[in-house]
Amino acid sequence: MSDSSLLQVDDVSRRDALRRIALALTAVGARSLDLASAQQVHHAARSASPSGVYKAKFLNPHEYRTVARLAELIVPADERGGSAVDAGSPQFIDVLCSENEQLGRIYSGGLGWFDAWMRQHYDTSFIDATEQQQTEMLDAIVAVEEAGQESEVDSELGPGIRFFDWIRKMSVDAYYSSEIGIKDLRYQGNGAYSEYTVPKEALDFIKPLL
Amino acid sequence: MLNTPMTQGSSKSDVFDVVVVGAGAGGGTMSRVMAGKGAKVALLEAGPKLVPEEEFKEHDWPYHYDHRGAGPGGAGYFGRGKPFGFMRTTSGGWELPDEPYTIGAGSEFVWFRSRIVGGRTNHYGRMSFRLSEWDLKARDRDGVGPNWPVGYVDLAPYYDKAEKFIGVTGTHEGIPSAPDGVFHEPPPPKAHELLVQTTGKKLGIPFIANRRAVITRSINGRAACHYCGQCGRGCLTASAYSASQVDVFPALKTGNLTLLTDAMAREVLTNASGKAEGVLYIDRNTRQVKRVLGKAVVLAASTCESARILLNSKSKLFPNGLANGSGMVGRNLMDTVGLSVSGYVPALEGMPVYNTDGFGSSHLYAPWWGYNDHAKLGFPRGYHIEFGGGFRMPGVHSGHNAARRAGYGKRIKEWMRQEYGARVGFAGRGEMIPNRFSYCEIDPAIVDDWGIPVLRFHFKFSDYEWKQARHMEETFKGIIETLGGRVTGVGNAWEKSGISIGGSIIHEVGTARMGTDPRSSVLNPYCQAHEVKNLFVTDGSCFVTNPDKNPTLTINALSWRAADYLAEAMRKGDV
Repeated sequence: MSDSSLLQVDDVSRRDALRRIALALTAVGARSLDLASAQQVHHAARSASPSGVYKAKFLNPHEYRTVARLAELIVPADERGGSAVDAGSPQFIDVLCSENEQLGRIYSGGLGWFDAWMRQHYDTSFIDATEQQQTEMLDAIVAVEEAGQESEVDSELGPGIRFFDWIRKMSVDAYYSSEIGIKDLRYQGNGAYSEYTVPKEALDFIKPLL
Repeated sequence: MLNTPMTQGSSKSDVFDVVVVGAGAGGGTMSRVMAGKGAKVALLEAGPKLVPEEEFKEHDWPYHYDHRGAGPGGAGYFGRGKPFGFMRTTSGGWELPDEPYTIGAGSEFVWFRSRIVGGRTNHYGRMSFRLSEWDLKARDRDGVGPNWPVGYVDLAPYYDKAEKFIGVTGTHEGIPSAPDGVFHEPPPPKAHELLVQTTGKKLGIPFIANRRAVITRSINGRAACHYCGQCGRGCLTASAYSASQVDVFPALKTGNLTLLTDAMAREVLTNASGKAEGVLYIDRNTRQVKRVLGKAVVLAASTCESARILLNSKSKLFPNGLANGSGMVGRNLMDTVGLSVSGYVPALEGMPVYNTDGFGSSHLYAPWWGYNDHAKLGFPRGYHIEFGGGFRMPGVHSGHNAARRAGYGKRIKEWMRQEYGARVGFAGRGEMIPNRFSYCEIDPAIVDDWGIPVLRFHFKFSDYEWKQARHMEETFKGIIETLGGRVTGVGNAWEKSGISIGGSIIHEVGTARMGTDPRSSVLNPYCQAHEVKNLFVTDGSCFVTNPDKNPTLTINALSWRAADYLAEAMRKGDV
């Protein structure tokens, strides 16, 4: 995890700045933007880069590191993009937990359960366990989960399965809602163009199917 | 806005020419046209003012928000937060805490309200289809439901006006059930849409250029679409039509329009001779009851809200509610029939990623093609197909499916890349026939936070709609299979029973229908109340039937037509 790729929470002020750009562009009296202004705003929105260092609001340092480790296991870095941690997953989760008591309880309880399982099996916490021990635990959870709901009901892994589903979906969300996740998929929309055309490569791709 | 005329102590000069209730498609059009003719207009809006530059999230990215679009506190994870997601410019929703409604036993219905200048037009889908003669006089053909008292020849000039003013894309096709209009050039089909179009040809389903209220060349100072694809978030360039930016804001510049926001209309006031003389409303900011007077009153508060106002406008002369001698106010409530099927098409895997957001929706759609086949289809009316696909903006929820299947680890990303752009979804939007089980009425036991009696809804689809929904399901499955794909889901969250919940398509119409006979209709063919000559209703409540054409364009056209009629009647001294 590199500091430069962390997405920070002073985004709100930056968003306000974008709003001010939009307002300034329309201040002349027109109630709508023209294409050039729209391009400027869309461009400004895309290129704005985050800064600063995040200070956790809800999770304690141990929990925060555990959430980061899980995020890294769930969405690891590869050649086309960083990990969920690089995408700011721990901050994302911490902020929402700090705003939502119900979610906070899900994380406190779930992380506690993860540590308890690791202590019972390997006399350590999740974050201090070896990678092999960590993946063994996740594999066990996923195996029961894949077997379907009925096997979950009586499984001692039940609370872990339910919590893992939460941290998994939120880590994946942190990744695909981040700049790096959106770049990973090569999404091209939400821009401003003077005309709409379908590129030749896409038309060539579809041609044999028509 | 406190410098507006109030009844107590008000003089003649404090009387507006027209008081309009509701700043959406119907009220926006009426206000703009009347103010443009020089009439002094008061426009009441139950919600606040709209400042698009502050409200619209058109260009935002999920990472601009610490909650990434899941909503503050992750509301979206718990089924709370804004309907259709945080980024949408929906102001209001299915449940408004201060304005409840109730549901009759055995019914299911949901009511979406947008309390803001522009109403639901700030975020709607902009699908803009004309009713055809085939739609308006359907009873002549199949004997089901009522005819409209107007024909296509009456509406066509106003569709022309509305389309020229609003700007609607399309191509000339000559399809009887989908009349051509005055069109802006549509954007070209996306690659996956070409594949769907080819597949449609094999199945006899015509996919043609979509007709949407989005301009592709500049008109009236509005810039042409810049293809960011985020129409549902509100359009800062006003290239996508909204009543706020295209009707109300320009009308304010005439100096003839007074906009009263946070004004919750309660009832239409009438004088001893039974004429409307204004509107009683509650100022949400002060909770004061106020009046605004006018020579004519136009209700365009949305289909069910207008019915509610009429039913709550009881007096000695109108004991059953205003203009309700027929008993038809609140009756004939219709929504559109909806059913969607999603699929996965392996043939689309590996397509080079490009901007498929385009003008914010599919560039093609299929108008109803089976209009000569109803005898053998077993249901009387048709539907059109809207569909989606392509490389959509990733965000919260994009990866849940892949993550759950993968368990965890590298495979999530691999599957996301492989499957990106290979998902398609088809949605049917079909005509509902009015029936006696579907209506709204005043719930005598409940008032909202403003002291106004609330609506109680009753709703039921008949076999006509259920059979149509099954046809949708089979058709969409057939398209996906012919694409070489597999069906991944039938019915969205609103359609678990196999048909959309009433109201959930947000096309509710019919609660003050027009007609030539005052015994069976509320309004005449110009949206004028049979019983109150200076009262008009120009939202979806005047609809006689609800063909598969999304209603907004027809509301624009009918409201414009009513405005011309009202202006002429006022000139002649008839109103």
